[in-house]
Amino acid sequence: MANENGRPKVVERDEIVRALNVGKSFGTHKVLDGINLTVRSGEVLAIIGPSGSGKSTLLRCLNQLEPQTEGSITLAGITIDARKAATKKQLTDLRRSAGMVFQSFNLFPHLSVLQNISLPQQRVLGRPKAEADIRSRALLERVGLASKADHYPVRCSGGQQQRIAIARALALDPKIMLFDEPTSALDPELGLEVLAVMKELADGGMTMVVVTHEMHFAETVSNRVMIMADGRVLEEGPSQSIMRDPQTERAQRFLQAVKNR
Amino acid sequence: MSAESLLVILSGIPWTLAITAGAFTMGAILGIPLCAMRVSRSWLLRSMAIVIVLILRSVPPIVWLFLLYFGIGSGFFQVGPMQASIVALGLITGANLSEIYRGALKSIHPGQWEASHALNMPRWSVFIDIMVPQLVRVILPSATSYIIGLLKDSAIASTVGVTEIAFQANFISRRHFQGLEVFAVAGLFYILISLPVAAVARYSDGVLRAKVAR
Ligand SMILES: Nc1ncnc2c1ncn2[C@@H]1O[C@H](COP(=O)(O)OP(=O)(O)OP(=O)(O)O)[C@@H](O)[C@H]1O
Ligand SMILES: [Mg+2]
Repeated sequence: MANENGRPKVVERDEIVRALNVGKSFGTHKVLDGINLTVRSGEVLAIIGPSGSGKSTLLRCLNQLEPQTEGSITLAGITIDARKAATKKQLTDLRRSAGMVFQSFNLFPHLSVLQNISLPQQRVLGRPKAEADIRSRALLERVGLASKADHYPVRCSGGQQQRIAIARALALDPKIMLFDEPTSALDPELGLEVLAVMKELADGGMTMVVVTHEMHFAETVSNRVMIMADGRVLEEGPSQSIMRDPQTERAQRFLQAVKNR
Repeated sequence: MSAESLLVILSGIPWTLAITAGAFTMGAILGIPLCAMRVSRSWLLRSMAIVIVLILRSVPPIVWLFLLYFGIGSGFFQVGPMQASIVALGLITGANLSEIYRGALKSIHPGQWEASHALNMPRWSVFIDIMVPQLVRVILPSATSYIIGLLKDSAIASTVGVTEIAFQANFISRRHFQGLEVFAVAGLFYILISLPVAAVARYSDGVLRAKVAR
């Protein structure tokens, strides 16, 4: 099938993420059930689905903010199996490869924009401050916020804060970026600036997993789409075929509902 | 009032300050393990903390003081009036500050922990670089107003013979039969000491909180 958004079609490339039969329960409440998932290097996967279907939980399992209770997850060569507690080293190595962006930005309010981006580089990678600051300024430039370096996060709009959060994650040179509804807390207009940055990242070849309610993003920027409901994968495949021609009745209902909103 | 009387009351100030500072320091430190117990995952530790805090807070300061000084202090241990006063007020302060700490912890958005973990920040750095600065900004205003309260409570030390402001004022007023003047001066001293503390409270509340406000 022709690829309309101009990104090279992903053929055989390294796997960065593989989830095998992943399940997650909170007490007796089963939130994820038998999830299988592969993400290859350079690929953008969009995860969509109704509220409460377990999208955030799955994303948080990928970087082990939430350990899965069943199955195994491999990210950047580190495999973590639910039957065996992860070692500290495994968690560190795994999280070092995965950058995460949250719905609520989660910038550090007491640090300036520049410090927000530089401090993790200093503490996690051991970069000297001067070097970290150079990298931070370059990233701020890239997300169009060079002038905000010395402001505090409260002084920035939501869209700007989210772009800063993206820069903060990128500064640690992740192999994959995980986004949990990065634009849901934003006015549509501010959401667009964030989506533009994400599109540029995708075009630059960054591997991304994006939980989103932005159907346009899912259809045009991502290579593949996964639709979830009730903790299971309903459908998964190339973006356009999934978005335009879903096979299951449940997926059709969901897409219909979002499109008519 | 004579200059001599004034000097006697003035000589009480260091003792008042010492009790306040001592009790606050002790409470500030004691509050940390109490707060840690209170928010711990262990059911037992949590209940112990609740009971300790409840007991420390429900008994009036003067009863704690007499218990320490006349009760324990006259028996097996030797406890001086100064130690007894600092420890009695320090214990109560510890209980109160542990609750202030807990409130501050709760006021930190859970996203701050998540972001720190996702960024892979080392544990010490999350504590020192991220949590402590935010906690201090939240705690400072309540802690400073607590200090003002403590300053006034330190007057109970006069009951066991610590020669702080209230004790000296009492002493002078009895000797010269001039209660009104003497106690007015003593009150003035308490106000003067409170002013700088209150200024710090206002500053921390305004400037620092504005920075971390979401
Ligand atoms: N820490 C938790 N403890 C208990 N239950 C949880 C926890 N986190 C999530 N859940 C439950 O798991 C289910 C899936 O939640 P999740 O946040 O993953 O859904 P979602 O697909 O991201 O929804 P939304 O689109 O609203 O963000 C929900 O029923 C939620 O109540
Ligand atoms: Mg979610």
